[in-house]
Order: sequence, then C-alpha cells, then structure tokens
Amino acid sequence: MKLRSVAIAAAAMLALAACSSGTDDTAASGPLQVKYYSVQQPTEGWPLVFGKLTDDYAKTKPGTTLKVEVAPQADLDQKLQLLASQNNLPTIFNAPNSNELLQQMYNSGQILDLEATLKELGVFDKLNPAAVELVKKTQGGKLLGLPLELNIEGVWYNKKLFADNGITAPTTWEELSAAAAALQAKGVQPFAASGQQGWPLTRLLGNYLFRTVGPNALQDVKDGKAKLTDPQYVAAAQAVADLGTKGYFGKGVGTLDYATAQDLFLQGKAAMFYMGSWAVRDFGNQQTNKIGADNIGFLPFPTVAGGTGTADQTPMNAGLTTVVSKKGYNAEVGAWLKYIVEHYGDRALSEIGLVSGFTANPPADASALTKGVVTQIGATKQPLLWFEALFPTKATDTATKNVTRLVTGDMSPADYMNTLQKAIDQG
Amino acid sequence: MSTPTAVRHAHETAPVTPTLRHRPKNRLGRQLRRMPLRAAVALLLLIEIYPLVWLILSSLKQEDEFSLKPVWALPEGFDWANYSEAWTTGHMSTYLRNSLLATVPSLAAIIVFGVAAGFALQVMVWRGRGAVLLVFLAGVMVPLQMVLLPLFTIYFKAQLINSLWSLIITYTAFGLPLTVFLMAGYFRAIPPEVLEASFLDGAGIFRTFAVVVLPMVRNAILTIALVQFFFIWNDLLLSLTFISDDNLRTVQTGLLNFVGQYGQRQWGPTFASICLTVVPTLLLYLALNQKVMKGLTAGSVKG
Amino acid sequence: MTGRRHRGGGPYPDRLITYEEEPVRSMLGDKRAIAVFIGPALIVYTLVMIVPLIWSAGYTFFDGSVIGGFNFTGLDNYKQLLGDDAFWASTWFTVKYGIAVTVGQVGFGLLLALLYTFYLKRASALVRTLVFFPVVLPTVAVAAMFTKLFAVAPQPGLINSIASVLGMSGDRDWFGDSGSAFIVLVVMDVWRSMGFYAVLLYAGLVDIPDDIIEGARLDGARGWRLVRHIILPMLTPILLSSVIFSINGTLKVFDSIMALTGGGPGDTTSPLTLYMYKTAFSFGDYGYGSTIAMQLTLLSLLVTLVIFRFSRKDQTR
Repeated sequence: MKLRSVAIAAAAMLALAACSSGTDDTAASGPLQVKYYSVQQPTEGWPLVFGKLTDDYAKTKPGTTLKVEVAPQADLDQKLQLLASQNNLPTIFNAPNSNELLQQMYNSGQILDLEATLKELGVFDKLNPAAVELVKKTQGGKLLGLPLELNIEGVWYNKKLFADNGITAPTTWEELSAAAAALQAKGVQPFAASGQQGWPLTRLLGNYLFRTVGPNALQDVKDGKAKLTDPQYVAAAQAVADLGTKGYFGKGVGTLDYATAQDLFLQGKAAMFYMGSWAVRDFGNQQTNKIGADNIGFLPFPTVAGGTGTADQTPMNAGLTTVVSKKGYNAEVGAWLKYIVEHYGDRALSEIGLVSGFTANPPADASALTKGVVTQIGATKQPLLWFEALFPTKATDTATKNVTRLVTGDMSPADYMNTLQKAIDQG
Repeated sequence: MSTPTAVRHAHETAPVTPTLRHRPKNRLGRQLRRMPLRAAVALLLLIEIYPLVWLILSSLKQEDEFSLKPVWALPEGFDWANYSEAWTTGHMSTYLRNSLLATVPSLAAIIVFGVAAGFALQVMVWRGRGAVLLVFLAGVMVPLQMVLLPLFTIYFKAQLINSLWSLIITYTAFGLPLTVFLMAGYFRAIPPEVLEASFLDGAGIFRTFAVVVLPMVRNAILTIALVQFFFIWNDLLLSLTFISDDNLRTVQTGLLNFVGQYGQRQWGPTFASICLTVVPTLLLYLALNQKVMKGLTAGSVKG
Repeated sequence: MTGRRHRGGGPYPDRLITYEEEPVRSMLGDKRAIAVFIGPALIVYTLVMIVPLIWSAGYTFFDGSVIGGFNFTGLDNYKQLLGDDAFWASTWFTVKYGIAVTVGQVGFGLLLALLYTFYLKRASALVRTLVFFPVVLPTVAVAAMFTKLFAVAPQPGLINSIASVLGMSGDRDWFGDSGSAFIVLVVMDVWRSMGFYAVLLYAGLVDIPDDIIEGARLDGARGWRLVRHIILPMLTPILLSSVIFSINGTLKVFDSIMALTGGGPGDTTSPLTLYMYKTAFSFGDYGYGSTIAMQLTLLSLLVTLVIFRFSRKDQTR
C-alpha cells in the first residue's frame, strides 16, 4: 500500500505546513528587535547608520537589535501593500513610492503621524524645519516619514573638461546649451543621464518649468489652474527634447542605468551630470571616481531668459523617507526612536557624509563637497519639488517611462505632455 | 495516428535494401553539400558556448571594467574577490541551501502527486475525468500574478509567510498542471494488455501501478523532474513576494543583494554568484543528460 | 459494446481504449484507488490555484485597494477595459510576442531536432547539451548578457561592433525604439528555450521507426518532402504539446521583459502581465488589475482551444 502512505504523507505535509509558524512578529517579550524594511542594503545608507546607532543604544538597553530586510525599490510598493493588507507592516520601513499608498496607510491607521509622535518624545526640534516643510508638501500636509536625507539637486560638472575647452560655468539655459554645443564639437559628451531610471531626465523638465513659469508651475497643474498641454509647458518639454535630439545625452541614453550614467561622468567621459547631492557619497569613492572629487563643481539649475524663477530657488528633496508602523509602536520602540532621532543627524554626517533633515554640526574633516552642499542648503531661499512630486502614481510612471522617447525624438513634446495630462486627469 | 498508416503500408511492400549512405561516388559531392550545414553547426556552437565563456570571464572582472571595457574584453586580472564577496556578503551558501530546501520537496511532491493523478486521469475509468483533466490543463493558462494577493492572504492567515513552506506548496501547485498533462500523455503509450496481464497475475491496482507502470515511465518522470527543476530554481516573483527574511532567501532573490537603491547592480559579484549556482545545476544536468534523453526517447511522448 | 469502450480524457480525447476483460474494468474503476491517486494532487491544486483564481475573479467586480477596502462596482472594470488604450496595446504586444516567440522556439527547436537526428546522429549528445544550456541560466544573467551584446553605450556591444565591421551603422540603439527592442526580446527568448524544444522534438523524431523513413526514402521522398509528408505528420502530437506549452509560457511572459527592457521604451514592450502587475501593485488598483489578468487567462484559453481545433481538423483530413 505504497500509495496510501504517499497520500498520508501528503496530508501530513499540508497539516505540517498549516501548523508551522513562519512569522515571529507576535513575540512580544524579550529584547526589542526593530525590523527595518528598506530599499538600501544593510551595508549602506540609512540602514547602516541605524545599525550603528542601535548598537550604541544596545549598550544601555542590552539586546536591542535592528533587523534589516531589503526590498528592491521596484517591488517595494507591492510588498508593503501586501503586508498592509494583513495589517502587518514592519516596525519601520521606507515610504512607498506611491503617495496614494502612503496616504491609505495613514488613513487606515497603520502608520504614525510623526510630528505628534516626535513632539510627544520631546525631540521634534531635532528636525530641520525646512526639511519638515518639504516632507509635508509631498505627504499630504503631514509628516509621515523621517527626512533621513536632505538633498539639493543641480548640475555637477567636470571642472577640468570645462577649463580645457574654455567654458565658464553657465548660469542661464542659453549658456548651458551653448556649453553643451561647444563640448560636443570638441568630441566630449555634454551630459550623462540614466534614461532607464527616467527621473534624471524629467527633473530637467520640471526645473525648466520652475524657472520659466515659476515655483508654482506644477502646483497649478495639480490644482487644475494650468494644463501640461499649455504652450509654456510644452515649450519646456521641447527644450529638454532638444538636448536629446542634438545628441547631448550621448548614445543609448534609454538603456543607461544609474550606475553606468554616473560612471560616464566619474570616468571623465561626460562633462555634466544632473543629480541630487546624495551622489556626493559616490563622488568620494576613489575606486569609482577617476576624475577626483576636487575636480567636481556644482551649478545651480540655470535660469531661463524671461522666466520668473531665480537661481536661489533650489530643487530639494528628503530622499525616500522612513515611516513608522502604528501597530509595531510601543514605549520601547519610542525610547529607541528618541535615541535615533537625537543622534541621527551627526552620525549620518560623520559616518557616511550624508546631509540629513536632522540638525547636525558638520565634522571638521567633512569633504569640501559635503561642506558645499551644507552651504548651498543654507543659501536656498525657496525649496522646489521635483517634476512628478505632486502627480498621481500612474502619471509618475508615465512621465519617467516615456521621457526617453521624448529625448530620442520617438515621441513629440506635445504628445508627451498630452499623454501625461491624460494620466493626471485619470488619477 | 491516422497519417502514417498509408506510409506504413507502402513501406511494407517495399523490398529491404541497404541504406544509401554507402554509395562511394557521391562522397565528394556530399562533403560539399554539407559545408553550409557544417558552418551552421559551427555558428550554433559559437552562439551557445560564447555566453558561457562570457559569464565566467565576467565573474572575474572588476567593477569598472564593465563600463570602461568592451563587452568581449578579457578581464584585466583574475579578480577572485568577486567570488569571496558572493560567498560572504552574498550569503550564497545560505541561499543555495534554501533553494535546495524549497526545490527538492516541491519536486518530490510534484512527481508523486502528478504521476498518480496522471495515472488516475488517463488509465483509470471514472465519470468526470475528462472535466478534471481540463481543469488541470486550465492551470497552464493561469498567470502567476493573478493569484498573488489571494495566496499571500491565505499564507498569511496560515502563518506561512517568511517560511519555505509557502514556496514549496506554491511550486507544487504550479508544477502540477504540466506534470499531469505530460504524464497523461506518457501513460497513453502503455498498452492495456500490460495492465491486464498484471491484474490476471493477481496484482491489485496499487501494486500494478508501483511495480508495473512506474518502471515503464521512470525516464519520463526524470525528464519532467528536470523541466520542473528549472522552473522552480529560476523563480523570482514568488520567492520575492513570500520571503523577506534574509536567512530564508533563495538564490534568485539573493542575487538582489548586489542591487542598490537605484537599480544599480554590482555585476562582478552578481556574475560570480550566478557561476556558483549554475555550475551545480549544469553538473546535475550533465549527469542526468543520458537518462533524460532515454526518458524522452522512451517512446512515450509521441502519439 | 459501448460499456466496454470509453473515450480517453482531456488532451487526447480521440483515443479509444478498449478493455476486454471484466475484472480489468472493475479494477480500473475502483473508486477508492482513484481517490488515492488523484486526491492529493487535486487538493493541493484546488487550494492553491482554483480557490485563489476564483477569489481573484471576484475582485474584477470591485474597485478599491487592499488597504482602503473594496467597493462593489459591477461591470465597471470591464467597461473601463474596453476604452483603455494601454490594455489593448498590451494585448496586441502580448499576442505579437507570443506568436513570434512560439514560432521561433518551436521552429528552431524542430530544425535543431532534425539536425540532431539526420546530420549529427550519434555525435549529437554534446551539441544537444550545449544548446540546452541557456535554460539553466537565471533570467537576470541572460538579460544582462543581451543588454551588453546589443548595447551602444557606454561601450558598443558585440552586435553593433560586428555591424560596424561589416560596414553598417555601428551605433544603433537597439532598445531605443519599440521595433528593435521587440526583436531583441524575441531573439533572447528564442535563444533561451529553443534547446528545450529541440530535445523534446528530438525525442519524437528518434521515436519514428527507422524503417518508415528508409521506406519513404526508397519511395523517393527526400529533404523537404520527407519532412513535410512523413516526419511532420508523425510528429504532430508532440509538436502540438510543444506549441501549447510555448504559447502559454510566452503569453504569460514577465521575468525576461522585466529584466531586459522593463516594458520600455515607454510602455511599448509591456505585456499584459506587466500591465496587470503595475496596475495592481504600483497603482494600487487591484480590482482592475485582476480584470486585466482575467483577460490574459481567457486569451490563453482561447488560443489553446484554437490550436486544439486546428490540429483536430488537420488530423481528420
């Protein structure tokens, strides 16, 4: 009766499966284990700093540990959605890419309003007020995520390539275009950009709008006061498309991934690179940076003739923020969180040279680039959001996916903006 | 089934003669005519071997060689650091263990359940079996993405999330349609007389299945196991969805350890990890190759 | 007489099996044995496939998300589908891709199988193994390789380099427009799987008795005529299985497109699976996502039925 035993084994397998406990989230007793669901590896960025701080914290509260689980950014929303559907979000986690999802989590009472929580813990003043404002603007007026980074964005350029080709740092779009043309004439690729990511290209479009229409350009679109199909908006798309069709982004921009685009710049093959200041960490890596950190300069996004935007309005963001689960929160987690918030700003700077939305004193040995970022943040009169910041998720996806078609000439500026406006109207 | 009969009849009347290939006159012409074929085979081998070589060479490259050097360039030096990185940072030994722990029981369950079901559906006589077979066949058509949310909910309620059981059960269910479908085909080739003889010898149905039928489809089982092995081994979506604990990750999700926030991948350690995991599977395939060929050529698949 | 005959099930309904002896029939009709044989498979399959499938089918009548809750909307999702350009574009891409890759996989598989059988003969083991090898590779490795092979920047890939050596344009951006990205995708998936189908079809070929082929040769059948009139008809059942597996696999393609083009440029290489995944999990519209997935299931079903019908007709001719 072999078969019967097989059937029994099968039944046993199912029964076993049903009984075996896979999750250990319900274990309430014992030392605190904070589960951090992050898009960054435990060896880098926020999880690294959190890990170091938790180790320190464990000196007073023995046994406290941080458990980092990594999710690729492309799959983050899916995983968070599934976990939220079971009301089982990890203690802390990176905010989903989709703001709608974040709002749903808040509305269904799954995550904390951190302004209230941090005030309760008495550490709200540890946050940089500008960073708080910035986060609130993108998170429906509430502080749902911690600004673990505070970045400015702009054009990083290779000083040597500029000097060799007799180019001075451009301050207007016209000068920038002229510089690009001059570089290309000398056989130097003017820009490196990752079309695979898409957003490095749409940022140009957004910033161009902020410079021409003004800082409220995209708020107006959200409020329905303006359409992306309005002439001024299409003109911005045209300006970015022109850079592409003139070949300033080099060949195969659509397939360049983030690292390769950055490599092109850091290997001296491209003269300019639009990026956020988080990249300064990579600029400091002598293994990958072949042109030297001292050789990299920063240009605020250029102004456009006739536009109302000014150069002291700087694109800023707080990176992907980190939110706290309501279910996982208790006094113990609160005490840990208080410690983290008190020390994060300084530790992030000293450990990995990361400028955050927390108050901090830059260490004396900070790199020139890091110091420059701090100065630039201080000099910013008005922070600007990015192109898709106020878009619904579907429109964000449409914007970043199709922008390579815009710069390769596969899609006309009018079509691009039209498709985008449609996606916004649907969302 | 209907077509070859005409041929068969024609053939039966034809006299038996030695094959044509012994005619000496044609040898030179034959050689010439075969030149394009030879070239085609050479090209074929090239496009199959090149990737293997490229994979191994890439696993020895340093990170900046991927963007600085052409794709066919040889590595500047043998950078074994990629392998140690794959083994330590990449926890490849853990992932290999997990992959095996998920794969082997699933394979066993697929084979045991699938072969038995195929037998019941093709050989045994009962009402509604046609419908049940169609239900199984429909499983071939269901996209994985469609059942992710319900499955996640079920496994969550059963506390199976972050447990290899969730993978084993899902792999088993998704492997069954193909297995049942193929096995039903294989069982068709078993002549009814074999069963009759066994029954007349006094053997029961279970004994007949185990002693008479199973040995006849042994190689077919091996073949199906191989096909399913690759499906399970290369799964990414399910393991990504059901497992987030680093200690329980499988090889495919483990490769994501070398991916940064913006999708930037450390190619050196990634390729080293792939080599580490491909080599055992390749050896397995080579070892089983002959048997698999026999399995496929056991005359069972054909109509 | 009719009691002694029964029609075989599912995939091979044409076959009639006759059992002459009464004890054999009762043995094969043993209800308990049938339950033991089919029970475990049916239970696992029902719980893990059928129940979730019906569950998801239920979502197609709802709007909302897994967090905020669902509202019953009747047929709204289906109505939305009719006017959704992205859905029709994805459907068209899926069909186009399914046909191209299936023809490629099974076609090249057949050519390879003929090569193994009639040219390489006994020496074919090594070649078979090598051609089978890509099946073993993880998708991410294959995609990485094809990205590099067809790359134009930062380094021209092998294909562009060969093109420039041959005097053609060596800086084609293969992933830059939908047409050439489609070609690379098809080439990649055909390359990956043709070895598998070759082995499957080779098995069928080896199985054709030598005397039939020799006999046909003596009757003057050579080359294409031999293949067309003798070999293909005998291979029909296994070709049919191959086509069904191939088309059902390719209609559900996900991994390789995610890894190679991510659906780009734009959404021009986005199959239904990717559109469904994004709708459900990125845009948080699970009901509509399920509706898209349902159409894919129906499409697979339709295609399979058409293939069955087609092959039935072919056989009765």
